[in-house]
Amino acid sequence: MRIAVFGATGVVGRALVPLLTAEHELVAVSRSAHEAVPGIRWVEGDASSTEDVARAVEGVEVVYYLVHSLGSPDFERQDRVAAENVATASEHAGAGQIVYLGGLGDDDPTASPHLRSRRETGERLAAGSVPVTTLRAAMIVGKGSAAFDTIVALVDRLPAMIMPSWVSTPTQPIALDDVGRYLAGVCGNAAALGQSFDVGGPEVMTYRQMIERIARLRGRRPRLIEVPVLTPQLSSLWLHLVTPVNASVARPLIEGLKNPTIAREERLRRLLPFELTPFDEAAEQALTGGVRGGGARD
Amino acid sequence: MLHSWEANERVLDSGAFESRQRVLAREPLVEHSESGARWLGLAYWQAVGGFTRGGVRARWGADGGRLVLLGGARLLSFSPAELVWSDDLVSCRYSIRGGLLALRAGGSVTLAQRRAADEVELSVVVDEYVPRLAARAGAPWWTGALYAKGQSPFHAAVSRRYFDLLAARSGA
Repeated sequence: MRIAVFGATGVVGRALVPLLTAEHELVAVSRSAHEAVPGIRWVEGDASSTEDVARAVEGVEVVYYLVHSLGSPDFERQDRVAAENVATASEHAGAGQIVYLGGLGDDDPTASPHLRSRRETGERLAAGSVPVTTLRAAMIVGKGSAAFDTIVALVDRLPAMIMPSWVSTPTQPIALDDVGRYLAGVCGNAAALGQSFDVGGPEVMTYRQMIERIARLRGRRPRLIEVPVLTPQLSSLWLHLVTPVNASVARPLIEGLKNPTIAREERLRRLLPFELTPFDEAAEQALTGGVRGGGARD
Repeated sequence: MLHSWEANERVLDSGAFESRQRVLAREPLVEHSESGARWLGLAYWQAVGGFTRGGVRARWGADGGRLVLLGGARLLSFSPAELVWSDDLVSCRYSIRGGLLALRAGGSVTLAQRRAADEVELSVVVDEYVPRLAARAGAPWWTGALYAKGQSPFHAAVSRRYFDLLAARSGA
């Protein structure tokens, strides 16, 4: 099949592209130029440009939408426009499927602007006639994942942490490799057309537990002090000061941490059964840059 | 979608309380799986937080959960969730370990979805719970007024909100 991947150079895109190239003809779309890779046609383009999008999806059967504008002051508007462009162009190109990676917890009425935007993006993609397959994931455990890198930076830099109440929120982090496998697995899969799936890792934990486990992997034992009041704004400014994460990225992420992000159903696990990567193993891989050994997890 | 609401409460022979609310739905609102069972529990605590406008929130850790008032006072503490799922039943049960609202450790909160004929029953059962605010045996009735007029109606109101939340989030 001919497939277009928007966001091919992003964290998830980089995990997905190698899984697709073995069997499919790939058009990889990214905002910046990319060196040539055999078997992949790289297209420099922005999802907010109708011309760029139309050029990228010409003749494709499946479109992966893995882009977001987090960090931009008007990320909600930008994501809306980009999703509409891709939905419209995919329809005109005669594509048979759009695959979208959204966020768990996005249907909570109290969801943060970031999570609301992820939901709205999915709705805009689905507004056309092309069936959308939505995978809703919590934090992705992988090198380059903004949320994961933020926690690692906190663990590495602080001997003690004053933490707001969101550290007690349950979440279900999933390994980057596993997200890639799920995304690749739904490609052209008739049972996945028009469906939304929750994708979670094998363990449910709080952010506090996640911090403690990453600290253990790093050989550190930071003191964690939980306080009832610490606004997302203060938290994000604090992260801006002590981690490499920009406040404009940190704030929407932190606002989202107050919402539980756990899978409510397991249909995709039944549709695409494989052994999910335990959190510690996924975190270890992300921290060391290691890769999982060849396909023996099925 | 939801119908046949019922709520009742009684004092057991042990002196503990049982509070039960249930409603029927035409379709399952949660999946009969581990994830569905976990969601049954999580949604209940979300309903508590929503009903109290964030004044009472559940916090979780490796050793279980606690229900906290305004980020400080520990109203109740719970064991980790015990999840059960089969074709006919999916449930999430928390044992009560203590807290300001419990006279002693004991009892449980069970959230369940059970197939009943061609419908499903959703229920919230607080069982074998000894509330600190309830009247003791032989004590004047008014010593339990805080429970009867406050905490008891609270259970029912939260359950209504909980069932509505499950229905809304099921997409039904």
